[in-house]
Amino acid sequence: MRQLKIAVVMLLIGGLLTTAAFFLAFYTAEVQRFGTVTLSEEIDSAYPLVGVSNEGLQYERPWFSQKIFYFHVPVAEASFLVLILSAFFGVRFLTTRRKEYDTKSRIAMETALTFVALTMITGVLWTKASWGVWWDWEPRLTTYFIMMLLMVAYFVLRNSIEDEERRAVYAAAFAVIAAIDAPISFFITRLIPSQHPVVFKSGFATSNLLPFILAQVGMLMIGYAIYVMRMSEERMRERLEVAKEALED
Amino acid sequence: MEATNKELYDLVLKDAPYVIAAYGVLWVAFVGYVSLVLRRIMRLEKDVQAVQEAVERREG
Repeated sequence: MRQLKIAVVMLLIGGLLTTAAFFLAFYTAEVQRFGTVTLSEEIDSAYPLVGVSNEGLQYERPWFSQKIFYFHVPVAEASFLVLILSAFFGVRFLTTRRKEYDTKSRIAMETALTFVALTMITGVLWTKASWGVWWDWEPRLTTYFIMMLLMVAYFVLRNSIEDEERRAVYAAAFAVIAAIDAPISFFITRLIPSQHPVVFKSGFATSNLLPFILAQVGMLMIGYAIYVMRMSEERMRERLEVAKEALED
Repeated sequence: MEATNKELYDLVLKDAPYVIAAYGVLWVAFVGYVSLVLRRIMRLEKDVQAVQEAVERREG
C-alpha cells in the first residue's frame, strides 16, 4: 500500500509537471519554422522573406504543429525505457525463474504498449499537420511500427500458451527481442537518412528546452506511477485468490 | 508568437485541430486509464477485505 501511495504522489507531481510544460509550450516556447509559404503580397512579417518566385513571395512558415513535439517525444522516450524495463525483468525471470519477474515484465510491457499507442496517435497527427500525409514508411516510423507489432505479438503469444512456466519463458525471451528494436528505432534517424526530425542534433533554444524537460520528467513519473499502480492491482488480485482458496478449504 | 500579420496566423491555425487532438487524446487516455486502474484497485481492496472477514468469521 505504501508503494501505491508513492505512485499516486508521483502521478500528481507528473501531472503538475506536464501541465506546466503544456502552458510553457504555448506561452513562452519559441515558434519553430518549417519550410516556406508563398504569399501574393508583401507583408510586415515577423518571419523573414526568403525568396521570390513566379507564384509570389516566399516567407518562412511558422510551424505550429511542432507544439505536438513537447508531449510526443517524452511519451515516445518513456515507451522505450519502459519496454527496456520489461526486457530487464524478462532476463531476471530467465535467470531466477521467479514468477514475480514474469508479472513485472508483463505489466511493464502493458505500460509500454499504452505509451507506444499514444506515441503513434500523437505522431500520426503531427505527420499529417507537418508533412500533409497520415503515414510515411520512413525509417523511424517503420521501426517504431515494427516495435509496436512485436509488443502486440507478445500478448498474443502469452494468450496462446496454457502452460504457465512455458508461457513465462517464451514471453521473457520475446520481451528481450522486442526491446532490441528500441535502440534501433531511437538511433536510426542518426544513422541513415530520414525525414523524421532529430531533436538533439540541431540544438534547442532555452525557451523550448524547459517545457521539453518538464514534460519528459513528468511523463517518466506518470509512467512509473502507472506501472506501480498496475503492479499493486496484480498483487491485490493474487491476495484475493489466496483468500478465496483459504475460504474454500 | 510575434508575427503580426493575418496571413501567417491563418496558416498557423490550420495546424491547430491536429495539435488540439494530439493533446486531447493524450490527456483523455491518461486520465481514463488511471481512473480505471484506481477504480479496479478500490474494488479489489473491498473484495479482499470481505473475503478475509469471511475467513476470520469461519475460523472464529
